[in-house]
Amino acid sequence: MKLLALSLRSLRREWHLPELRTLGASLVLAVVALGVVATLSTRMERGVLASAAELIGGDVGISAPQALPATYAQQAAQRGLQVTQGASFPSVAFAHEQSQLLDVLATDGNYPLRGTLEIHQAEHGNAVGHGPPAGTVYLDHRALVALSLKVGDTVQVGGRDLRIGAELIRQPDGGELVAMAPRALMNIADAEQAGLLGVGSRARHRLLVAGSPNEAQEWRQWVQSQTLPQGAELITPEQTQERMRSAFDRASAFLRLTALLSALLAGVAIAMAAQRYARRKTNEVALLRALGTPRRQVLGLLTGTLGLLAIPAVTLGALVALLLAQITWGFASQMFSGVPTTMPLGPAAAAAVMGLAVLAGFSLPPLVRLAEVPPVAVFRESTARRVRRFDALYLVPALVALLLIWSQSGSAKLAGILAVSLLGVAVVAALLSALLLWIARRVAPGAHPALRLGLAALARRRSMSLLQATALSLGLVALLLLAIVAPALLEGWRRELPADTPNWFVLNLQTDQRAGFEQTLAEIGGQKLNMLPLAVGKLTAINGRPIDQLTFKDERAKDWVDRQLRLSWASELPPSNEVIAGQWQGEHPAQAEVSIDTMWRDLFALKVGDTMRFNVGEGSIEARVSSIRKVDWTSFRVNFFLVFDPAHASTLPHTWIASFYLPRGHTEALAKLSRDYSNLSLIDVDAMLDRVREIVAQVSGAVRWVLGFSLLAGALVLAAALAASAQERRHEAALLRTLGARRSQLRAAAACEFALLGLVAGLTAAFGAAGTGLWLGHAIFHIEHFVPPLGSLLLAALAAAAVVMMLGLAGTSRVSRTSPMRLLRES
Amino acid sequence: MSGSASVLTNGVLLDAADVSKSVQGPEGRLDILTSVSLQVREGESFAIVGASGSGKTTLLGLLAGLDTPSSGHIALDGHPLERMDEEARADLRRRLVGFVFQSFHLLPALTAEENVMLPLELEGRDDARARAREALDAVELTARRRHYPAQLSGGEQQRVAIARAFVHGPRLLFADEPTGNLDQRTGQHVSDLMFALNHDHRTTLVLVTHDPRLAARCARQVTLDSGRVVAPSRASTAVAP
Repeated sequence: MKLLALSLRSLRREWHLPELRTLGASLVLAVVALGVVATLSTRMERGVLASAAELIGGDVGISAPQALPATYAQQAAQRGLQVTQGASFPSVAFAHEQSQLLDVLATDGNYPLRGTLEIHQAEHGNAVGHGPPAGTVYLDHRALVALSLKVGDTVQVGGRDLRIGAELIRQPDGGELVAMAPRALMNIADAEQAGLLGVGSRARHRLLVAGSPNEAQEWRQWVQSQTLPQGAELITPEQTQERMRSAFDRASAFLRLTALLSALLAGVAIAMAAQRYARRKTNEVALLRALGTPRRQVLGLLTGTLGLLAIPAVTLGALVALLLAQITWGFASQMFSGVPTTMPLGPAAAAAVMGLAVLAGFSLPPLVRLAEVPPVAVFRESTARRVRRFDALYLVPALVALLLIWSQSGSAKLAGILAVSLLGVAVVAALLSALLLWIARRVAPGAHPALRLGLAALARRRSMSLLQATALSLGLVALLLLAIVAPALLEGWRRELPADTPNWFVLNLQTDQRAGFEQTLAEIGGQKLNMLPLAVGKLTAINGRPIDQLTFKDERAKDWVDRQLRLSWASELPPSNEVIAGQWQGEHPAQAEVSIDTMWRDLFALKVGDTMRFNVGEGSIEARVSSIRKVDWTSFRVNFFLVFDPAHASTLPHTWIASFYLPRGHTEALAKLSRDYSNLSLIDVDAMLDRVREIVAQVSGAVRWVLGFSLLAGALVLAAALAASAQERRHEAALLRTLGARRSQLRAAAACEFALLGLVAGLTAAFGAAGTGLWLGHAIFHIEHFVPPLGSLLLAALAAAAVVMMLGLAGTSRVSRTSPMRLLRES
Repeated sequence: MSGSASVLTNGVLLDAADVSKSVQGPEGRLDILTSVSLQVREGESFAIVGASGSGKTTLLGLLAGLDTPSSGHIALDGHPLERMDEEARADLRRRLVGFVFQSFHLLPALTAEENVMLPLELEGRDDARARAREALDAVELTARRRHYPAQLSGGEQQRVAIARAFVHGPRLLFADEPTGNLDQRTGQHVSDLMFALNHDHRTTLVLVTHDPRLAARCARQVTLDSGRVVAPSRASTAVAP
């Protein structure tokens, strides 16, 4: 208690000291940066996962070509899960002597269990609703336009007249992106009575359940233990989550990276402030020790003082982080509308703890050494400043930094890259600075007096100059990474999803329709048409052994064995595919060959040379695994897990799958395409792309916040560096003034000194940032051909020199006005 | 400037007339110096003595142009200091003045040689290093020229400070308690050195001290008490109002 009271008194006396304020501000900043990012990141991830459930309209479900036995619904009901049943099928609707093929979803009143069904009614405007009542249908805008209808009119579907109850604005999607255009939503009872779901219909039945995660998981496991009806598949959010998570993971890694750099910069400022605080307290500690205070008590007093400062600082940091996260979420939450995501408090608390770790790691070494000041130092100051050649205690901040990098990145690889880069920059900065100082010694005699004085000032404070240049380089490399390299990385990544990314997929295109479809599409402005053959089959054997006799470690393998697989063939390696083992198949190999995706390699433990047999329609094909591919599934191109050689596979019964880009606002043209080719299924991937772009945009917005923090942290480092040498500079200025130096001489010398310091730090940081950017682009962001913007980086290095010079001049402006009388007063 | 020429004709390098200095303290105006007048001729040695708080250091600062008086007139080499701005006074100091302080005031990050080079670097001299070595040689510290102040004893540090004070050939040397931080023997050695160099360089010496023996080595001395001259020097060029 006594120690606490002493610490409190000490803090009350000292809180106005610039180094303690720098320390407090740095701590707040570190916690805010870490806290905002962690809170937003966690909340967004929850949103992404929850909205994946929204996309399938439930937590989990089954899709089957025929009505499912009642057991499945009963089992779900027994577990307290909500159930909705429905069926999707194409059906031609008639009105005003026009016909239109619709993608119909017939459903019950429970639909949707997850996500929102948004409808528009003339009298109520936009509203959230459920499946339409019997006798009613909801049509989307395209359907209304195609059939020249409006809400309240009557349309004939399956031979029954149904009243259009509302315009369908937005609905949770089908499990497999299947969204034939245009859409209609009707009651399942009407569909049954119209005979649309009978034997021989093209309806795909589905049952979706939702409820508590445990029960849903239990039901899912029960379903997996059953033998599903022929052609039935499990619908899981994971399939939808896969792509969204991939986009989210990269964005979130980037966010965490920025926050971490801010925190580490703040750590550097904390270390410098603590060092200065320790120096200021040396005489006081020596006196306390001389008066008989034990070392432990001195250390307790010092850590107590900082601890009392830290508690309000980290609390403030965490609160500000939550506030900023809440404000940012206000903008970002639109993309997860209807998905309840509560504000997580854990990440902000964790950030506060990490802030304390930064404080402890970066400030403890000088404080521990301060507590060791011997009592004799009251008589001889030099004994208090004994410098050790190597002090293992100063490895603590490095260790804390490593642990933080690791904990934040969640990836040893990213942590390694960052740590090595920062260390590399530190070493290069130190070497470059040393080289500059060496050159300074050589050129000083012939240089302009101001430059010579500036160079001499750098050379005189050799170790301090080295330290400052290194710290500034580290700060600048972080800033350059964030300000120049990161946007370039983000831009490079965004470029991978260009605006003309295919936004429509077409299924079920027949061979004889290809030419006509291609022509029609060109007429309505479709671009980037890419057609690939598509056969549907099942895996029956691997290396001659029937598949049902094999067991696999990966649980997902069974799902894939039960599934109808999509097979294709191509003579050339498709874009966004990379062969990582074996060789891409030739056009006419002696034996059928298949190239598999890495996921298939892992699922079935396959290797090049293995054979696989598939049943396709009435026939079958046995192919040798010729290569293993890495596929970029985020590219939104048509991709396949299994690609055969065309010579052997082209005889398989198949249709075509095509992707193309059609600018928005072509609804009517699409309706025509739909009418002309009524057997086609058109899949709208715009909605999915929108969601990914939206996430990227929101994340970029959030990054700007974090970038601001890093800039502030960088400024704090510079301020701390200047404050660290302020006393020495004032003394030096007073002496030089006494010896007759003009103020302009001091200013010019300071300008040269800081400009040189900034130039060394800026150049080192530019190259460091370029190198780190290359590494990150390749290893983390998987961007091919990423070229760091060297021109901008070099300009930034020059700007850094100018800014450091100006900040240095501003920070030392009072120094040049130091009265020479100060010297006599100090005597 | 015409007035200063006549002063120089009389051989007076430093002329203070009716100099007062006061500052605003928490309890109102505080008079530190009151109507001090004195003259120092070129080449002579002059001691200002007095107890702690008598205003010795303030007077030294005013005479050296480090500060300006509240009233009165000070001419250094004929230049009226109270009419010059800080920049002009700095120029004058660089050309004419050398300093030795009680606390040595060596820059800790510089070696002995680099400390001595400072005044020459300010003048932009190319031969700074060579001349600094000569100056260190004169104070018998050639062997320690690469040492940092923390590696030198108090006496050695003061000898470096003396080398720095003489290196650019000043006409006037101000010394503020030059032996105040040294033991008697070292103090004696340092003061011997200072007076010898003063003699060799024909430098004018203005010395502030409370050590009567050191003051006695000067040609003339003046005593201050509570900011006033209470005991004129033997030569009686300093007069009480």
